[in-house]
Amino acid sequence: MSRQPEKLLYAPSHEWVETASEGGDVIATIGISAFAIEQLTDLVYMDLPKVGGKVSAGQEFGEVESVKAVSPLYSPVDGEIVAVHSDLPNQLDDLKEDPYDFGWILKVKLSDEAALAKLLDHAAYSKRCGESA
Amino acid sequence: MTGYLFHTPEDRREMLAAIGAASIGEILDAQIPADVRFQRQLDLPKGLDEIGLERLMRDLAAENVSAASHLCFLGGGAYDHFIPAVVDEIASRGEYYTSYTPYQAEASQGNLQVMFEYETLITQLTGLGVSNASLYDGGSAMVEAVLMALAADSSRRRVVTTRTVHPHYRQTLDTYLCNLDAEAIVVEPAADGSAGPIIDQIDSQTACVVIQHPNFFGRLEDVRAICDAAHRVGALAIQVFDPISLGLLKRPGDLGADIAIAEGQCLGSPLQMGGPYLGILACREELVRRLPGRLAGQTTDRRGNRCWVLTLQTREQHIRRAKATSNICSNQSLLALRATIYLSLLGPQGLRETAEHCVRKTRYLRDRIDQHDRLSCVHAGPVFKEFVVRDSRGDVEGLLGQALGQGVLAGVPLAPWYPEMEDCFLVAVTEKRSREDIDRWLESVGGDAADAAPTQGRSVAAV
Amino acid sequence: MRNQQATKLIFELSRPGRRAAVLDPPDLPVPEASDCLPAEHLADGPPPLPELAEGDVVRHFVNLSTQNMSVDTHFYPLGSCTMKYNPKRNERLASLPGFAAVHPLQDEATTQGWLRVLYELQQMLGEISGLPGVSLQPAAGAHGELTALMVAAAHFRQRGEARDIVLTADSAHGTNPASAAMVGYETRTVVSGPDGLVDVDDLRAKLDDRVAVFMLTNPNTLGLFDSRIREITSMVHDRGGLIYLDGANMNAILGIVRPGDFGADLMHYNPHKTFSGPHGGGGPGAGPICVREDLARFLPRPIVRRDGDRYFWDEEGEDSIGRVRSFFGNQGILLRAFAYLRTYGGDGLRQVSEDAVLGANYLLSRVRHILDVPHGERCMHEFVATAARLKKERGLSAMDLAKRILDFGFHAPTVYFPLVVEEAVMIEPTETESKETLDAFAEALFRVTEEAVDLVKDAPHTTRISRPDDVAASRRPVIRWTP
Repeated sequence: MSRQPEKLLYAPSHEWVETASEGGDVIATIGISAFAIEQLTDLVYMDLPKVGGKVSAGQEFGEVESVKAVSPLYSPVDGEIVAVHSDLPNQLDDLKEDPYDFGWILKVKLSDEAALAKLLDHAAYSKRCGESA
Repeated sequence: MTGYLFHTPEDRREMLAAIGAASIGEILDAQIPADVRFQRQLDLPKGLDEIGLERLMRDLAAENVSAASHLCFLGGGAYDHFIPAVVDEIASRGEYYTSYTPYQAEASQGNLQVMFEYETLITQLTGLGVSNASLYDGGSAMVEAVLMALAADSSRRRVVTTRTVHPHYRQTLDTYLCNLDAEAIVVEPAADGSAGPIIDQIDSQTACVVIQHPNFFGRLEDVRAICDAAHRVGALAIQVFDPISLGLLKRPGDLGADIAIAEGQCLGSPLQMGGPYLGILACREELVRRLPGRLAGQTTDRRGNRCWVLTLQTREQHIRRAKATSNICSNQSLLALRATIYLSLLGPQGLRETAEHCVRKTRYLRDRIDQHDRLSCVHAGPVFKEFVVRDSRGDVEGLLGQALGQGVLAGVPLAPWYPEMEDCFLVAVTEKRSREDIDRWLESVGGDAADAAPTQGRSVAAV
Repeated sequence: MRNQQATKLIFELSRPGRRAAVLDPPDLPVPEASDCLPAEHLADGPPPLPELAEGDVVRHFVNLSTQNMSVDTHFYPLGSCTMKYNPKRNERLASLPGFAAVHPLQDEATTQGWLRVLYELQQMLGEISGLPGVSLQPAAGAHGELTALMVAAAHFRQRGEARDIVLTADSAHGTNPASAAMVGYETRTVVSGPDGLVDVDDLRAKLDDRVAVFMLTNPNTLGLFDSRIREITSMVHDRGGLIYLDGANMNAILGIVRPGDFGADLMHYNPHKTFSGPHGGGGPGAGPICVREDLARFLPRPIVRRDGDRYFWDEEGEDSIGRVRSFFGNQGILLRAFAYLRTYGGDGLRQVSEDAVLGANYLLSRVRHILDVPHGERCMHEFVATAARLKKERGLSAMDLAKRILDFGFHAPTVYFPLVVEEAVMIEPTETESKETLDAFAEALFRVTEEAVDLVKDAPHTTRISRPDDVAASRRPVIRWTP
């Protein structure tokens, strides 16, 4: 059951979001886009938060590094971290190969869905990437 | 005046013609507004040829007493240890001292491999997993260690240290902390040297505890108890150590220190009036992402050859800028090279023998002082290579002046840092001092201080 | 020709029981060392250092040295680093025991020669900068920056002004924002205009009463002298801020312009660049700072002063920020700077800068036909070319050029700095290179741009190693040898 990039939402800072209902809560799965991974070149390190922490939209939750660059990871949503893909930092090549399924980073239980409305759909995001590339 | 310039008048003409300028003045005028141009000549002494410079510098050098002209028993963070000839011979190769930061790894494999060897030697020496490629000196290395601890947990803003840590290091820490939201608690040590007063100050707000072992007075601290106390509340333990002492003493990592720092001058670098010296910093592997300074690592090249590169550079200022682990953008490569050669020559047994010499010669002098009617050792407990002497007549200046007149740099007065010790001075005995040298120390302070006028000692100087 | 045996790691050359430095046991009527110390402090044995013979050590490190490029062996046009010739006479003089074997805590009466060197150096640095307050204490340029910002912070604290922002130029060295952060300042960036100079409108927009210091490099990292420097410094002063000059590029302006005269309030020198102290494979350097007279009271203590014909350390100073390191400074490097300044004198120093500017402009006139040079018909002591067009047309990057130039027997220029120029190639020839060397370098650079792409992309070919895997080094760091 693979995620289709066309059906995800995106932040201008290149994180993708997929939402699903689980037992009355809305859970957002968050990752980074193939475009962003391409721009960052070879990834070497990733710093991730702990389960239980709070995130808010636009706020930094972690970092991803290539040899000569550091890029902050920004949360696209508000809520509480319920899962972290803790193996990911050790499998960065796999992240590059498969950013939308294997490459998920966090699952967040949303405290507020307002931030979702500000995210871009795939077409709008692609257009934006095309302009900045 | 030719100095080190190259261009003949003909060269200058040809170069200006190629540039398309009539004169160098024209090139400068095109860029620099006239109203900021310097209108006169710099008021500096006239230039000297090599013979003139040599004469001037030799005359100036001759005005200094040194560990070469006098017997040196001075310590306090800089020591007259022996420097094997191989260290000077290799460190004076232009391929080392006229090269720079290994920005192009292919053109710097010599320096990079030395950095990797240095880092490994420091981990072997300290028993900790990681060493950087060096910092400026002991004092700034201690500050960097504290900043690592403060950055590790932003809710903890207290640094607990003691008066037995080098006063210059503590003063440097105060200067840095003054602009940051953090405070240093300086503990008065217990008379018997026990760890109680330090441990009592460690609490949940403590980011780190900083101790020196052997301490500024040469005494041994209960490092393990202090590290354990720090760890119980989640604070980091930082130990300032003496690299030479590790020929005999337990290593910082084995005692529980999270970060160990040292002044590395003792590892093959000259005293040279206080610098440049070598800041050593090692830490537990988990802290590597917070480590300040350069780091060399091993990898392979495109043909599969083993080689070395600068690595984990995202910690550093040129990438992370304002969020870097430190602003440092150099390392003391040449002094790290000297330390690497020095430790390679000594090996485990040589380091042990050097430490044994320090301990036994110090003991010999202390035993003799114990029989002295005017002088006494202030602390009874064990010391490594340094200790505090009290003059019962309270005339430290006269006593040291008298010794100087006899060709002996007998000690460092403690009054500037410890007003309550105005009748005390610090004495260090390295492996370079022979039994005869130590006997001369005793002779030099033995007479009546009132009779001997302080002199510069130039009569005995052979500079 | 390469000795593969001797260049193994020292740990791999180690054999149990092999010795170099041996100390005979002292003849003393005292117990064994292990009986002089309490058992709980003693290690089971000495640390597991390698065991080598003296001949091993010498051959190893001599062979390793041949794997470095250096100023003594190669042209080293590393932009912003001023890799000039390091005079041998200064090395010999610095090693005189009367300098090298002096303990920092000796009585002042026994170090008058040293103190005179340092005092006169303070005077000369003050004269060259036009800023008379001098501290020799900082250990490196970045350390000087930090110290100067601490001085600025003390100044504002005393005035009761709560300024919390430092402005830096977008072309500035990364140490500028990193130093500002260590003094608790927030950093804001002032952009460069299309001419490569400070965008005065952007500066004006970002200047307010929260700005403590504008950190400026002039000549800047593009090798350009900012023609509006007076306007810039006045704007900052008018809002009560201070100007910090990053003195990295002083080699261009000795005796030509003085920072104090164009409005700088604080600055650092890099004596290992400007005044020929060797770079030491990455250090040690030194980072003395100069400040305006009224800021001198905040400088670190001690400072060398003169009373008649006696020199002494002045520890007094209620307003001083304190000390920024142990002992007094990187005296060994400062001594070489002193010897350099005494060699040249005032007129000689001006000639140094003029020749540095001449050499850079000459090389610029040749390189301009090989690579684009986006800023300036003229430059000061260095210039920044770009490989952007070469990358677009032939797929060759600045890094490819840097790697291939090594095969021609030249160290590479600085690449990818400053950040404001795409595919930057930053070239600083210095005054201690001949026209023939500059011609040969330009010729080599031209050939590289014409060569087969694969040849350049696989370069260097003549060094022991080529294109190390930085990604593997960062992903799985191996930062110490393990058996």
